[in-house]
Amino acid sequence: MSAPAAPALAAIQRLRGPNNEGVLALILLGLVGVMSIASPAFFTLATMFAIVRSSIVPLIFALGVLIVVISGGIDVSFAAIAIFAAYTSVRLAGAGMDLGLVGVFVVALALGAVLGLVNGAVIARFRLPTLIVTLGTQGIFKGALLTYVGSRYIADLPASMASISTTNVVQISSGGRGAYLHVMAVPAVLLCFAVAWMLRRTMFGRGIYAIGGDAEAARRAGFRVVRTQMWIYVLVGMMAAVGGMIYMIMGRSANPQDLVGGELDIIAAVVLGGASIFGGRGSVLGTALGVLLIQVIDNSLILAGVPSAWQRTAVGLLLIIGVGVQAVAAKRSVRQVRANDEEGVAA
Amino acid sequence: MKDNPTSSNPLKRLNEQVGDRYAQMLSRVHVNRGSGRMMLLVVVAFAVFAALNPRVFLNPLNLQNIAIASPEIGVIAIAMMLAMLTGGIDLSLVSIANLSAVTISTLYTSVAAGDPARAEQLMPVLVLIGLAVGLVGGAINGLLISRVGITPILATLGTMQIYNGIAVAWTGGSTLYGSPDSLTAIGHATVGGVPMLFIVFVVIAIAVGVLVTRTPLGLKIQLQGANPVAARYSGINSRRVLMSTYVVAGVLGGVAGILFIARNPTASADYGASYVLLVIVIAVLGGTNPAGGFATVFGVVLATLTLQIVASGFTAVRLSSYQYAMAQGVILILVMVADQVTWRRRRIARRPAGGTAAVKA
Repeated sequence: MSAPAAPALAAIQRLRGPNNEGVLALILLGLVGVMSIASPAFFTLATMFAIVRSSIVPLIFALGVLIVVISGGIDVSFAAIAIFAAYTSVRLAGAGMDLGLVGVFVVALALGAVLGLVNGAVIARFRLPTLIVTLGTQGIFKGALLTYVGSRYIADLPASMASISTTNVVQISSGGRGAYLHVMAVPAVLLCFAVAWMLRRTMFGRGIYAIGGDAEAARRAGFRVVRTQMWIYVLVGMMAAVGGMIYMIMGRSANPQDLVGGELDIIAAVVLGGASIFGGRGSVLGTALGVLLIQVIDNSLILAGVPSAWQRTAVGLLLIIGVGVQAVAAKRSVRQVRANDEEGVAA
Repeated sequence: MKDNPTSSNPLKRLNEQVGDRYAQMLSRVHVNRGSGRMMLLVVVAFAVFAALNPRVFLNPLNLQNIAIASPEIGVIAIAMMLAMLTGGIDLSLVSIANLSAVTISTLYTSVAAGDPARAEQLMPVLVLIGLAVGLVGGAINGLLISRVGITPILATLGTMQIYNGIAVAWTGGSTLYGSPDSLTAIGHATVGGVPMLFIVFVVIAIAVGVLVTRTPLGLKIQLQGANPVAARYSGINSRRVLMSTYVVAGVLGGVAGILFIARNPTASADYGASYVLLVIVIAVLGGTNPAGGFATVFGVVLATLTLQIVASGFTAVRLSSYQYAMAQGVILILVMVADQVTWRRRRIARRPAGGTAAVKA
């Protein structure tokens, strides 16, 4: 290690970001660049907006998963919560309880919070493995929805929701082709900023990182572990409900069989975004990049004429490579730390 | 610094801890976890549904259906149990099983197009190829986990997508028809009223049970899961242990694929999508500690039967599959909570007694 290289190295380190966000952004930019050269259809506003549109719902779910993953857990019930809250709200609104857009959202949020509380209570109170508990609640929520609320596909949403389904925040028509940015991109972006602020600037957010790093240490440092965990799952339940509502608004229908089954793809995006599955590490920026990267890849594969069947394989490969590189780097740094320790002892 | 013993004293303590833990493990395996409780659950579940609707539920056909549906899920659950025994997890098992079934079906169809009789003769070869697919899939998992050092849940999440993607791309997303008639015949055969598939399941369960409890590899797998650090200090090559575990799990996945296609001469990339989570439920229900170290094959077999009995019982008393999904979740969480409560009570009870209680246990 020569002295002049140090500042440059530090700058590179900073650009790289604490969770390799820089690397991810570079890959994303590279991919966009290659695709733009390869296919003129790719580098258009319409394509960009389409990618953003398809990222909205996964992004909201991914933010919820991110919070749980940072706290050292894993949540596979968010999709069940989302569909439960959203479908029930739509059913209630359809049965003459249409309280306007805000009202419907409030109902969904309340449902999401209650279901999240169920997760949180079981996990925090009994200290059970989060994967197993959320697996169980996933079955319970989805089963309860289909048994007691309904299993019918609803093709027309209540008026309050339907009106916003076709609203676009940006509309640009150029050369006969329109480019539309759906209005639901706004809450998604706002949610990103809100979660980022919460994770970085609030005591609650720091508590999430602390618990994920080491629950016992967090407890001794004065964080109320049980209460924080409860709130994490309540919050994630509410975010899942928002995701479910937006999914239905954008899809202009309510199907109780949707969403559940795609949990692992969202978790893959979060992990790809640099969050550590062991907790304590992860960022909103990385997660957003991870979600975007998967959507861009899906889109590029279609444009490149690769059968859509290969998309899953591509995402799987990406995940393995991404995590594999991190694992190898971690191994190397452990070795380095050890070597440094020995040097220190020798000196 | 904690994991860096400098004198013989911490080593000795470590040794005692391992011994302690092992004694604990044995006591839990034999007494508390899994088997005994699952026995009870099987009997209770059976009795409840037999009482509620004896005409349908106790119908020999229904009982046979339970015995035919259990093996494929049970074999995957046993494989999951092995992965969990080392403290890992294998999400790719169902994808491996489907890939194996798809491979067999495709090869059979392509050979049969030219010479049907020859394709029929090739049945044992096809079965071996199905197992080989599982072996390769498991070996890739093992390499990623033991050599590259990727966390099992992420490695297998990735390979799950890859294997599934390959199968989807290969089949074009459609269901394939065609498998050797002799394989289908085995799938439908019964010995003294017991379906052949169930006998295969029992044989595999016994084989894995012997592997886990009676072989050096099995002991190493258990120790690796119970305490990886202690395992390393006792000279266990954890890389090799992990590798073998995931290879065995992969082969079992291949077996499950063969069972799929023996039961039904069709193969598709998306068969049994709900199995991924179901087998985790079964493994945990059967007394497997998801953090590693404790599991019994017997418990997992009983858990498989319980869930199949509940599933078919729900149908017999005209409850929907949605209610079954709920019941699954409720059973899982109740069992986990009950486990946790008794486990805590024991820990509290043990504390004042100190070391002596551990010796007694």
